[in-house]
Amino acid sequence: MRILLVEDNDELAETIVDRLRAEGHSVDREADGNEANDLLRHIKFDIVLLDINLPGRSGYEVLRSLRARTDETPVIILTARSQIDDRVIGLDAGADDYMVKPVDFRELLARCRVLARRRAGRASNLFTVGPLTFDRGAKQAQIGGIDVQMRAREIQLLEIMIDNLGRMLSKEEVADKLYTFEETPSLNAVEQLVTRLRKKLDGTPLVIKTARGLGYMAYVADDD
Amino acid sequence: MAAGFAILLVLISVLLWTYARTAANRTHDLLLAGAALSILERTSLGLEGATVDLPNSALEILSLNPVDRIRYRVFVPGKAEITGTQDLPLPAGMDLSADPVFYDAAYHDADYRFVVQGRRLNASSGSGWVAVQVGQTVELRASQQWSFFISGLAGLAVISLIGLGFVWVAIRSSLAPLRQIASDLRLRAPSDLSLVHGAPPREIRGLFDAINGFITRLGQTRTLTETFIADVAHQTRTSLSALQGHLSLAAGSDDIDRMRTRVAKAERQADRTVRLTNQLLANAMVIHRSDDASLHPVALLPLVRDMLAESMRDSRMRHIAVSFEDEGITAGRDVVAGDELSIREALRNLIENAIRHGSSDNAITITLAEQDDRIKLSVEDAGPGIADADLARATKRFTSLSDQTKGSGLGLSIVKAVAEGHRADLQLGRSSLGGLRVMMVFRRLATVLTLWAALGITGTGLRAQTLVIHSATDTPAVQPLLDAFSSATPGVTIDYVEYQTLDLYETMRSRDVADMPDVVISSSMDLQVDLVNRGLAQRIYVPPAITPPDWAVWRSELFGFTFEPAAMVYDKRAIAPDDLPANHRDLAIYVRENETSLRGRIGSYDLRASGVGYLYAAQDSVQGPQAQRMIEVLGRAGLSTFCCTTEMVEATARGELAFALNTIGSYASLSVENVPHLGLHFFDDYNLVMTRTAFVPKGAKNAELGERFINFILSDEGQRTIATQTPLIPVRPDGTIRSTIDRLIHEKRGTFLPIRLTPALLTYLDALKKKDFLSAWDISIMALP
Repeated sequence: MRILLVEDNDELAETIVDRLRAEGHSVDREADGNEANDLLRHIKFDIVLLDINLPGRSGYEVLRSLRARTDETPVIILTARSQIDDRVIGLDAGADDYMVKPVDFRELLARCRVLARRRAGRASNLFTVGPLTFDRGAKQAQIGGIDVQMRAREIQLLEIMIDNLGRMLSKEEVADKLYTFEETPSLNAVEQLVTRLRKKLDGTPLVIKTARGLGYMAYVADDD
Repeated sequence: MAAGFAILLVLISVLLWTYARTAANRTHDLLLAGAALSILERTSLGLEGATVDLPNSALEILSLNPVDRIRYRVFVPGKAEITGTQDLPLPAGMDLSADPVFYDAAYHDADYRFVVQGRRLNASSGSGWVAVQVGQTVELRASQQWSFFISGLAGLAVISLIGLGFVWVAIRSSLAPLRQIASDLRLRAPSDLSLVHGAPPREIRGLFDAINGFITRLGQTRTLTETFIADVAHQTRTSLSALQGHLSLAAGSDDIDRMRTRVAKAERQADRTVRLTNQLLANAMVIHRSDDASLHPVALLPLVRDMLAESMRDSRMRHIAVSFEDEGITAGRDVVAGDELSIREALRNLIENAIRHGSSDNAITITLAEQDDRIKLSVEDAGPGIADADLARATKRFTSLSDQTKGSGLGLSIVKAVAEGHRADLQLGRSSLGGLRVMMVFRRLATVLTLWAALGITGTGLRAQTLVIHSATDTPAVQPLLDAFSSATPGVTIDYVEYQTLDLYETMRSRDVADMPDVVISSSMDLQVDLVNRGLAQRIYVPPAITPPDWAVWRSELFGFTFEPAAMVYDKRAIAPDDLPANHRDLAIYVRENETSLRGRIGSYDLRASGVGYLYAAQDSVQGPQAQRMIEVLGRAGLSTFCCTTEMVEATARGELAFALNTIGSYASLSVENVPHLGLHFFDDYNLVMTRTAFVPKGAKNAELGERFINFILSDEGQRTIATQTPLIPVRPDGTIRSTIDRLIHEKRGTFLPIRLTPALLTYLDALKKKDFLSAWDISIMALP
């Protein structure tokens, strides 16, 4: 992955850069908000790790102008403040995730992977994890090269879950995305559908986790 | 003391109020008495019992009060109604006498002041009492009463202020010790928490004690804070020393394996230090926020859901079975007075504890339940739990019960601080899942009115409005005004309904308030005044700059917008301009002298067919006794009667009439401009002027739009439209002479006598008066040989 780290503290930046490089990613680092902004205008990254307190212009402003250019690059905000206002403003401004410093490297890498996967799943027609491939164009899933028989709804659900990897979707949200207004689905139907899809994905790293009372979240198991 | 002062104030106010009322009543009762007396004078016993010839002066006297509406009634007590409004209220147990009796009573939603006075009539046929009752609304009286009252009160206020000044000086000198404390506290260093000393007077000793009590509590809090800081310093230093120790051992080690072990230990120690620091910060923040009065309504349901969905992003949560039970609690019933940030922090720590102390496939259940006026938020897990004996210690700061997990011992104390800050109960116990259950019991906020905010003010966006006008005036005369108003106010459609004057008057009287039009326009001034006198109109605002002259406004409700003099139209071939009679007296002489040649060649209104004709004739008769003589003269000369101005003018143009009297000047002038042998003439003594009037009825759906319309027709633009695009003459002329009639009006200025918009116009609407007037007219007109 090509990652941009925007962080003004050299010590911290060095450790993050080293760690990410050790994982085999190519990492650029900027210490100044303005320069980061210029760089983002010209070069595409797979993920941006963005500090908030920056010389030049703040992380929020960098993020806002990025989104104003309709650039959908995933952004994780790194902040030293734990106040909720930061979170709201950050996510409203279009961040995909946020972490409070000091960050746990393993957790940071896991979140990066989730976002990269989500983005890859959306951007390309072919989604591959382990033996599972999903061809969005052909609406066809294969496990180990063998076609999986799936109904249209199951394909649709699979697509929704891949689009929202690592994100909690409530049962109602899933139903809204699956069914049209006239179909008025029962939430039971959603439940059964998830169970069927989970059974068919058995043996692949794509897991659909159920949190009772909250909803569903898909993640890729071998990312840990 | 305030209560005493308030009582005093009320007492004085009551006295002032009563005095003001008496004074105001005295003034207005004089008017009522005058009116009653002048009506009584005109009562008489006729062949058919008592009767009255309602004098114009009576209602004129009442019109001296420019604001109030009036009622009157003439009756024989217990026997017969003679005229006027029959159902006016009488005072209880009234004993009719020749002395006036004044009293207040409500009638048709308005407050009236009434007078009743009787007169004993004697005649050859017998004798009996006749009574006159006159009433007037009390708006002006009330406002006068107010102004008396307010000026009285203002004087009192000034005196009180001066008194207060003296009091202030006295208080200032006796409270000197307070100033001493103030300077003491101002100069004090923040660290100095010693008590305030001084010898205060007895009255402020309590204050001294309170200040000293507060200083003592502040000192205690500071001690607590100092202890906390010392604890924090101890904990962080210890943690950092351990970290430093591991790292320096690792750095000094030659053996690579041993070094790796040390580094691994250092890393774990660093993790703990990070967590410790985070929790110390969280603890400080939570304590600080519970000090603040930062509680406001918070809906727990979305807050908990949101917080849980967010925490699921943590990859450590993947193997933990999380479930959330809302136990059917619904939005709106989940609101507590709380601080969102603190509650989140508490929840985060509880979940963190569950993860840390349980196995990696732990189960966590979060429950939100309601019970009576409480909301219970609980977090339970399937971990090892806490032994009952240890429960009490668990929430103490820096007490970690488990050596294995090496917690900071802050997690539960944060939760406890949050619970205390929210005045919530914190209960620790055993979960049915096997581990710990922590429950916070909040007080529910009485069903909050969040619905109001949600309902909001929606759907009141700009919609096309319809202005409904009911009018008794010719459409061609008004159409240009309607067009001009439409183009000046886009988005408004006008629904214009045309009536005859009398029909409009009758429908307005019987119409339900719910379907009133927005504007009522009529050329009949007396009928309009009657409608307004009945309380059917509402007050509207017209800026002084465009308000018509006094005579054309009544009560800020009824507004005249045209100037329409009665004019004589004559055939120049029949009367040479030099022979024209200069005034009404000359006219009578002229007609008498030329009775034969003029027979059947004089035209005027048929008073029974035309409201305007009746109005002009009635107002003529107010001008003096010569009016009656004139009618007789005209009758002898064989007066021809017409329904309307246009027909009279046409007959004159055809040569059938030598002249026509009391035509509406503005209409007549149209023909005069076009027919060379027609002439227009005004007299030198007086020329009556009437005006078309408009008002906004009570209950109008678009009253605001109606008000805008009336403002428009009175505005410079509206008046110019009347002058240039209609046959009518504006009530506020701009001085430009555009036609013959404009020139004549200019030449004869000073002779024009506008009919005033006052209740006096009601005199000739009186049924009895009208009947008498019309029969006198009939007799005169029929009297031709």
